Amino acid sequence: MQSTDTKPNGPVAAAFIAAAAACFTLGLLVVLNDANADISKALDFSKNYGLGSGVGPLSGKVAVSTIVYVVSWIGLHVAFRGKELPWRNVVIATSVLLGLGFLLTFPPAFELIADTIKGGA
Amino acid sequence: MPEFFGALTSRETWALVHGMTLGALFLLAFGGGLASLYSLRASLVTEEGVQERTRRLRLGTTVMAVVAWLTVITGTFIVYPWYRAGVPVGTTDLTDYPKAKLVADAATAAWHNFGMEWKEHIAWMAPFLATAVAFAVAYYGVQLIRRGEIRRAVLVLFVLAFVAAGVAGLYGALITKAAPVA
Repeated sequence: MQSTDTKPNGPVAAAFIAAAAACFTLGLLVVLNDANADISKALDFSKNYGLGSGVGPLSGKVAVSTIVYVVSWIGLHVAFRGKELPWRNVVIATSVLLGLGFLLTFPPAFELIADTIKGGA
Repeated sequence: MPEFFGALTSRETWALVHGMTLGALFLLAFGGGLASLYSLRASLVTEEGVQERTRRLRLGTTVMAVVAWLTVITGTFIVYPWYRAGVPVGTTDLTDYPKAKLVADAATAAWHNFGMEWKEHIAWMAPFLATAVAFAVAYYGVQLIRRGEIRRAVLVLFVLAFVAAGVAGLYGALITKAAPVA
């Protein structure tokens, strides 16, 4: 419930969850890029779509993450506009996505997960 | 024109803009924003003080978000390709190929395998988080003082944005020291 006479928290919840979703997407793509050569080639947007010159798979990782950020923010903003959400749930969703994002971009973690995926394939 | 400008190559100038100029602006914006955000409590400031701090907070968080985007865009699409450039066959002098130079020596390979691999990814979390923070501050404005739970969450994301940029900046400086883009 809204604790005081202020604007509803929905739009801020949308911004927070979208940012965390973008961080998680980036982490996921870092793992997939390391685990699968075909995905790595597909993520080379600099070669495939001319996004930058010589950037390599990083171009795809950041482009897709940014698209996820913008699209999810717009979608969540429309869904949450004018609503007062349970803030604890927003914090949990943001924390989980953000925590995974940070973990999956940490080299020892993403290399271990990618090696496990490669080993199991 | 100061003499050192003439002494810098185009690559060094871009590295300077990416790392030092934008980095310094980011730090300044973070410092101002953090102080304003932390002290934005009714018990600490007068009503007039709240208005003034909110204006400073809006400015600080907006500048931080814009600078974060500019930093990662220039870093990824201008400086990074020079860092990771492929070495032409027969080249023995790796001075112009920082990544190749680092990984060619076991003593310096970790600067790329750990440092750059972490830096190039974690850096992009800074603009995502800083933009969310700037939006929250712009959206609530002075009302943020009455939403303690949201102010605390904004503070955490604000610090995390700084940590992400800090890790990237620190490794950027250290990697540049080990193998400069020149």
